[in-house]
Amino acid sequence: MRSLLWSWLTLLSHYRRHPSQTLFLLLGLITGVALWSAVHIINAHARASYAEADQLLDAQASHWIQAPNGRVALSDYVALRRAGFRQVYPVLELRLSTLDNQPLTLIATDLMAMSASRTSPTQEQSNSRVDMRAWSQLSQPPYAVWVPASLANSLPLQAGQRLTLRDGRQLPPAVTDSQPRQGQRLFMDIGAAAITLGETHLSYLAVGAIDPAELKRLDQWLNQYAPQLKRRSNQQPLDLTELTASLHIHLNAMSLLAFAVGLFIVFNAVRFALHSRASTLTTLRELGVSARTLTSAIVLEGFTLSLIGTALGLAAGFGLSQLLLPAVAATLQHLYGAVLDQRLLLQPQVLLQAWLLTSVGLLMALVWPLWQRSRQGVLAQRQGVDVLQQEQRSQRRLAISAAVLLAIALLSYPWLNSLAHGFALLAALLFAGAWLLPWLASQCLHWLSQNAKPGLAQWCWAEGQVQLGPLRPALMAMLLALTANFGVDNLVGSFRQALDNWLQQRIAADVYVQSEQLDAHQLSQYAWLLDSHERNGLRLRWQGRPTLIRGLDPSAPDVQQLPMASQSYPQGGAAWPDDGILANEQVQHLAGKQLGDVIYLPLGNGEQQRFTLAGFYYDYGNPYFQFYLPYQRVAQLWPNAQPQGLALWLDEDANMTEVEQALVEAGAQPGDWIDRRAILQLSLRIFDRTFAMTAAINTLTFAVAGIALLAALLAIHQQRLPHYAHWRAMGVSWREWLQLTAVPLALCLMLTWVLSIPLGSALAWLLIHDINVLSFGWTMPLQWQGRPALLLALLCLGVTAIAFAIAALQVRQRLPYALKQLGADE
Amino acid sequence: MLHINQLNKSFDQPDGKVSVLQQASLQLEAGQSAALLGESGSGKSTLLHLIAGLDRADGGEIWLQQQPLHQFSDEQFNQLRRTQLSLIFQQYHLVPTLSVFDNLSLQARLTGNLDDDFRQHLIATLGLGPLLKRLPQQLSGGQQQRVAIARSLLHRPALVLADEPTGNLDENTSQQVMQLLSQLVRDNGSSLLMVTHSPAMAAYCDHSWRLQHGRLEAELSA
Ligand SMILES: Nc1ncnc2c1ncn2[C@@H]1O[C@H](COP(=O)(O)OP(=O)(O)OP(=O)(O)O)[C@@H](O)[C@H]1O
Ligand SMILES: [Mg+2]
Repeated sequence: MRSLLWSWLTLLSHYRRHPSQTLFLLLGLITGVALWSAVHIINAHARASYAEADQLLDAQASHWIQAPNGRVALSDYVALRRAGFRQVYPVLELRLSTLDNQPLTLIATDLMAMSASRTSPTQEQSNSRVDMRAWSQLSQPPYAVWVPASLANSLPLQAGQRLTLRDGRQLPPAVTDSQPRQGQRLFMDIGAAAITLGETHLSYLAVGAIDPAELKRLDQWLNQYAPQLKRRSNQQPLDLTELTASLHIHLNAMSLLAFAVGLFIVFNAVRFALHSRASTLTTLRELGVSARTLTSAIVLEGFTLSLIGTALGLAAGFGLSQLLLPAVAATLQHLYGAVLDQRLLLQPQVLLQAWLLTSVGLLMALVWPLWQRSRQGVLAQRQGVDVLQQEQRSQRRLAISAAVLLAIALLSYPWLNSLAHGFALLAALLFAGAWLLPWLASQCLHWLSQNAKPGLAQWCWAEGQVQLGPLRPALMAMLLALTANFGVDNLVGSFRQALDNWLQQRIAADVYVQSEQLDAHQLSQYAWLLDSHERNGLRLRWQGRPTLIRGLDPSAPDVQQLPMASQSYPQGGAAWPDDGILANEQVQHLAGKQLGDVIYLPLGNGEQQRFTLAGFYYDYGNPYFQFYLPYQRVAQLWPNAQPQGLALWLDEDANMTEVEQALVEAGAQPGDWIDRRAILQLSLRIFDRTFAMTAAINTLTFAVAGIALLAALLAIHQQRLPHYAHWRAMGVSWREWLQLTAVPLALCLMLTWVLSIPLGSALAWLLIHDINVLSFGWTMPLQWQGRPALLLALLCLGVTAIAFAIAALQVRQRLPYALKQLGADE
Repeated sequence: MLHINQLNKSFDQPDGKVSVLQQASLQLEAGQSAALLGESGSGKSTLLHLIAGLDRADGGEIWLQQQPLHQFSDEQFNQLRRTQLSLIFQQYHLVPTLSVFDNLSLQARLTGNLDDDFRQHLIATLGLGPLLKRLPQQLSGGQQQRVAIARSLLHRPALVLADEPTGNLDENTSQQVMQLLSQLVRDNGSSLLMVTHSPAMAAYCDHSWRLQHGRLEAELSA
């Protein structure tokens, strides 16, 4: 025990004397852990949020009561309450637009009824957040609307100010305060909404916790007194968890990648720290410390480092997750309608996981050198080994492993059918690339030194060989970062391009109007109206997933130009096949249906309707199943289908203000229509936000790789300093020194960059053609882009130049001292 | 105290088996010091390594204070090196990241046999007082060797093995270090077996042995 303690302390003294090494070791650990844990915290947080996603202000609805036209009469609600259903509370959900067309969601309910619907006593105690003062403020003139602070900021809206809507209505004074689970939604009292906004109907009724007997009574009551109302049990949390799973898998994969890059730094630092303490370790053996005690001391040191690194890394990760959360929350809300709480919690298991991960990483770095040492006698350790020869041997070993890995990956590719397999392939590809790199670089340097003129040039390539060993993990980290960046850039670029094209085609109509009062016939008198088509639709569940059925006019221009992935009928004016139905690609990839397959969809009366799949259209980013049918057929099969508005095609010279005027005259309210440009902009904005997170993590990965490079260079120079002093003594000028060290480095990094291009392309290919299909169920054409590669080359050059300059300055500072030491050493 | 009987050791070299020690024998009594002389490559360091258990003999016996070292396990040798033996090297073998004070305390700390008064005595005698906070790289060769001597004596070993302790030092410093070493060893009641090339250094010891053609022969003290 005593010798373990003192051996450990002796080993640790290294870190006190070499603060820059300590700094980089910890920096590697911290950034790795921080990136990993940030994403992990967000993911865990999002999952927790889904479980409560449909809780409105902490109230959990177990069932919804809805009307086919989406409007529940106030009298039905009152009758239900009178019949003794205290669990029922009213909900009004409105989609509003601000003056500058920003979409808003407003929720209104009766807070008192909602609180009463919560029957569980524990909930009652912990969640009595709705206090009387707030309630009376909401329900008494001049009323109030709760606006989440972040939303108020972006509008912008001051507390006490009244928000004016596009249709001219005004909301009550704002209270910039949000309640639990409010998300980015406005909140009002339902009575206040009726008075100030003139809303006379409810969107739906929510049912709180209810026991089975009461539920049965509720069903009977509905059947008897309000047959038009339908009860639906609340399955949303389940859906959200399922729908967003793939997104979280992607995020997780990204964070693990970042963690891997961090591990390369740690690997480098730990190996180097061990290497530079070789003589200390031997001295301890000579002083009678057993090999086992020494190994324990080193492992103990590893655990110490991982503890410190994990603690600091988690703290940093927590901060980082706070920064990333808004982007993720925005993505989730826009893509899936999931509302995230803006407060984060740190869970103990994240701590434990992070610590285990770092410990495993550190052990990986330690196992091989420790095993090698334990096989050597004390005397042999002093004699030292041929480092260069050893390095070449391990390069060869790595290259062979890479070849084996690649072969396995290629052979297993045809059987790719699960997400786990897909990610395993990605990992195999990345690792094979990283393992191949040192061997390639070494071969390259070897060839150059064989063919260079004797003299400085030859020396330069030989010096490159020497530096390649310690540089190896940093180069691998750089390769990973470059590959990931290039691959994801290509992916995102293709996606954006595809989305843009698709939106241009699919949202072909110029104006979409959604209004029940609109008299469509009245519009036909205008000359600027080229064409107009009605559409309807409904939501149901098919194969356990939320599914949208839309009724369209097959002759409408946008339907004619629908971008099809595959189809069995001629497009353009051809008659719609009798029992034919069009489905999005998701039906093909996620439900496993093929062209010509027969499917059954549930009708309102419980029967199943038979359809034949006539075509699949591209539907980027949609997490739901979707089917297209002719408008009349939907109306006939599903009487409860709701009108989805009217699509208008305008003359090129149509004046938008004139069109709007006409719409109002035809009965529509301002705010009932959206023009195409607004939709396009909105869609692209949502898209950009979705990928903002990906970009942020990617950039951070690059920063981590830069740190790895700097750490490696500093370590190399520290190790080589006596040699540099010799060179200096031999008359090598500063300029020649720069050449000797910078040129091989530049070559290695260039090779890294070159290798990252095919690797990144393969990464993008796998992501789009396989992983995307497996996880999201849709594909897109891959578009190759040269620009990201060039940009990355510049970035890589910049990072390298900075790292090299810092390291070179340090050498310059230390060289005089090293020269003095030359005489002193043996 | 130290008895070496008929020790054999050979190495495999590219040019065949090289016999370094052949039936080598040596005796050293408690509290006595002996110099080990011999040509370069004659096997002096090898002999010290065998005694310390850093390498294993092919045959023969080594007895230290009635303990059969030739039958010791690695673990027993570790224990032996930690408590009863100490080594002094030509290259000092100090821990570069520990201060002078921590370096000279290191072995005693590992052993748990740290006598503070004795430490003060060693520091004073070896003149290390003003250097305690320095790192080894900030010391001259002679100063480093004095730290190594302090480290090797602080836990009061029965036997000190020194391999050319003055090999890196100039004439004057060598004299000085040698004087301190032999005096401290004698005061301490330890035995000393010291490899040296220099008859002048050997003169500080009670006995001299010469290693030649794998055999040890006692020389008359100069
Ligand atoms: N590990 C080893 N493997 C093979 N041969 C060895 C090994 N160690 C020593 N030798 C050989 O054994 C012989 C004795 O070496 P040793 O180091 O003991 O000599 P020495 O007397 O200490 O010489 P010097 O005075 O130069 O230090 C030499 O020929 C050497 O080459
Ligand atoms: Mg020797």
